[in-house]
Amino acid sequence: MSAEFLRLTTYFGERDRAGEALLADRLLDIYEAERLQASVLLRGIEGFGRPHQLHTERLLSLSEDLPLVATAVDRRERIEAALARVLEIKRRGLVTLERARVLDGETAAPVPGGVGEEAKLTIHLGRRERVAGRPAYAAVTDLLRRHGLAGATVLLGVDGTRHGRRARARFFARNADVPVVVVAVGSGALVADALAALRGLLEDPLLTLERVRVCKRDGERLATPQALPSRDERGFQMWQKLTVYTSHASTHDGRPLHAALVRRLRASSAAGATSLCGIWGFHGDHEPHGDRLLQLRRHVPVVTTVIDTPAGAARSFEIIDELTAERGLVTSEMVPALGVFGDGERPHHLPLASHGG
Amino acid sequence: MSAWLWLAVGGLGGTAAITRFLLDSAVSTRAGAEFPLGTLAVNLSGALVLGLLDGLAVGGNLLLLAGTATIGSYTTFSTWMLETQRLVEDAEAVRAALNCLLSLAAGVGAALIGRAIGLSL
Repeated sequence: MSAEFLRLTTYFGERDRAGEALLADRLLDIYEAERLQASVLLRGIEGFGRPHQLHTERLLSLSEDLPLVATAVDRRERIEAALARVLEIKRRGLVTLERARVLDGETAAPVPGGVGEEAKLTIHLGRRERVAGRPAYAAVTDLLRRHGLAGATVLLGVDGTRHGRRARARFFARNADVPVVVVAVGSGALVADALAALRGLLEDPLLTLERVRVCKRDGERLATPQALPSRDERGFQMWQKLTVYTSHASTHDGRPLHAALVRRLRASSAAGATSLCGIWGFHGDHEPHGDRLLQLRRHVPVVTTVIDTPAGAARSFEIIDELTAERGLVTSEMVPALGVFGDGERPHHLPLASHGG
Repeated sequence: MSAWLWLAVGGLGGTAAITRFLLDSAVSTRAGAEFPLGTLAVNLSGALVLGLLDGLAVGGNLLLLAGTATIGSYTTFSTWMLETQRLVEDAEAVRAALNCLLSLAAGVGAALIGRAIGLSL
């Protein structure tokens, strides 16, 4: 299978530098220079990576270097051009490639087919974009819920490109064009219906589509992550990504579910985990939720991602399964390429593994 | 007050802030994020030293430098409050209450012990 579009994602720390510049700026400068269709820089609230050092916003002294995630989607050749420049940087962290599809205005919507196949739909909006007199992200979330999708989370970007144009958040500014992404998951058929409706709602929609498997919804186990071999037929290594969508208000053992999950994963042999905090969203059969002013507890959605070898992901899934016994949406995805930076090492190229078409 | 004294206040205050950051990070990294032990360690040790200075009847410029500049920059009320608020936000009411009460009780105790040591010297 030759992928037409790719998603390039890098995981790193807020303080990581690339020479004189901050790594985050350097990466987004590359995406801007390559005029990538859609890219966004997201700030995590908690996480750990290869050195197993925990970073969390819960303690001031551990929140000086929170995790960052920069992700970009475009045609394969454009992503590969950007990737070549990203791989030149001496730094630490992780980089992955995944197969995706960008749907702009007119492209037809080919949704991953097959029984039990689900899709992840990402909608790239502007922070102040409005439709029908309300924030576009809220209107989009409502539409996705009406169409029966399993969940949708609104993530606030701090930098990024849309249709190749850069918009970076500044302290004293309206930041109207800074990207906001809505990440939604649902069955292929429901996503196709939602796509048609989104085209009617949004003027200039920028959408990306990926294939996922929904493993759990509201505590109900629907499937296990795809059983993948560690290498494909050509000997290229394969990786797996597990994503857990929860609410900041759902707890396990008296602490927020995502915090309990990150702790348990860190105590296990998991390679790493990152939690991102959304501003609005829903998962399962719950009303969309977010924060209100001056409330004691937070109600925003949280997305926690784990990337590991298929064997490592299977072990992490057992922990995730145990902690999401009542709440949470869990998905799995195949990650066809991954590279690790650090200790003076950097990957020189990322071969794309293939599995079962 | 002389310019040198002001410079010393700035220098000592800055050094104390760095010491606080290093101690807080070292404790938090080892103890994990379950409970803000780093801030507690900083505030208790600060209260102990300030109690000691009081017991030793340090005064004048020395108190300004060692007390207000050094210990004042070293201990942190704002971090204590912010981390308590985050515990509440995370539905950890018991830990939040414990963080308040433990800091208060042990803090007064530390100042008392420091002062007793200072008086006996």
